[in-house]
This record gives sequence, C-alpha cells and structure tokens, in this order.
Amino acid sequence: MFERFTKDARAVVTGAVEHAERGGGRTVDAEHLLLALLDREGSRASFALAALGGGQWLESVREALGEARRRGGLSQAEADALAGLGIDVGEVVARVEEVHGVGAMSGDRKDKGWWSGHRSFSRAAKDVLERALRIAVAQRDRHIGDEHILLALTARPGVPAEALADHGVTHESVTRVLYGGGEAKAG
Amino acid sequence: MSRVSTYIDNMTDATDLAERAGDRDPRIGLRAVAALRRLLEQLEAVQVRSARNQGWSWQEIAAELGVSRQAVHKKYGRR
Repeated sequence: MFERFTKDARAVVTGAVEHAERGGGRTVDAEHLLLALLDREGSRASFALAALGGGQWLESVREALGEARRRGGLSQAEADALAGLGIDVGEVVARVEEVHGVGAMSGDRKDKGWWSGHRSFSRAAKDVLERALRIAVAQRDRHIGDEHILLALTARPGVPAEALADHGVTHESVTRVLYGGGEAKAG
Repeated sequence: MSRVSTYIDNMTDATDLAERAGDRDPRIGLRAVAALRRLLEQLEAVQVRSARNQGWSWQEIAAELGVSRQAVHKKYGRR
C-alpha cells in the first residue's frame, strides 16, 4: 500500500510517528496522523484545510486533541454515552490524576509490531490509512495523498473527526473543496 | 420564518431526548458498552503500570485482576 503514497502522504505517516515519539506514546494513533496533517504546508490537504479557514483554528484543533488524550482518548460521543450510564469521565480522569499524576490516562496502549520500527500503529491509525486507500480508489485517484488521509479521518467516528467537525471540517466539506460542487453540500 | 424553524428544531431535539431517555435503541446501549470497554482498558493500563513500578510481579497483578499471568504479561509485558 505504501508505494502508492505520495510524498505528502508519507510525510504525514512519518510525522505521525514523530508526534507519537514526542508525546511519549508507544503506539501511533489516529490523533497523531491528524497532528502530522496539521503540520503540512503546500499539500493538497493543507490547501483543503486553508480553504475551510484553517488558519483561524488549527491551534484549537491541536488543543482539543490534547484534551481528549488526557481523558484516555475517549471522544465526546463516548463520554456522552458513558454519562448515559451515570459515569462522569471527567470525574474518573480527575481521580486517576489525583493518584497517578496529570496525564496518567493518556498512557499508551498495547498493540505490537505491525509495521517495522519501534512504534506500532494502533488499530484506529491502520484503519485510517486503509480508509484513505479505499477513498482514493473510489475517487479514481491513482495515488494516495494526504487529502485522502484527511478524508479518512473525517469519515471515521472518533476524536479526530469530532475535533475537525467542531470547526466545520467534515467529510462533505472537505470533499466539496477538493472535488468541487457535485452533490456534496456545504458542511 | 426563522422563528418557526427554530421552534421546530427545538421540538425535534426535545423529541429526540425523550426517545433517548427511555432507550430501546440498541445502538445507544452498545455504544455505551464500547465506551466503557475503552475506559476500562485505559484504567487497567494505568493500574498495571503503577503496580509494576511498585515492583509487583505479573503473577500478583494477574491474581488481583482475576486473569492468568500469561494474559497480563502478553498484554503489558515488554513495555
């Protein structure tokens, strides 16, 4: 699959590994792919983000990702589902941090040796890359670019999609700026 | 016009909430279980790490968790 990645898409993957290393995580998560994507300049994904007003809110997306990681990588949707059971995730995190220190819940996950290298990719991150491939195929694009990774991130429920959707970056809005009008409606 | 649509939106929200409250929709329950599992995994990782840092053996950790030593070691060993 990798040989079909564009230079920008590869840069996102290696950037994600760097973000994971910097954060001390043992696995590369979907969140790291998004962080790496936000760093890109002059790529198709960065063009799409800029067209959707990215200059204004890139930093706020980074903060949202950091917050989510601190609550164990649970998305808002997951936190809401737990609230429905009477479990206050914020409270759980606060108690764990009281004993084990700030950021204790952001710890690593098990998941070993998928791609070579010290850090393996989480199931979520692999899923994003596989989706990117499928999206490229569906769009009849010959290569997998960083814009396909962005589309994959918006298509998959979870923290990255939520952080992006909060700033109007949805599968529909990204598709619209990348591939033009069509039937895609404004996000 | 806009007031009408706001009114309708509010009404829809209220109906949604009412439906969710007594929930029969399996999706809501299943999502809650999946979220709970994720939370559980995070909590387990924190506790296992803490026990290891305090010098606990895999055997001791496994006994407290009620699983086999192999299961814990396979999941958290070599890290």
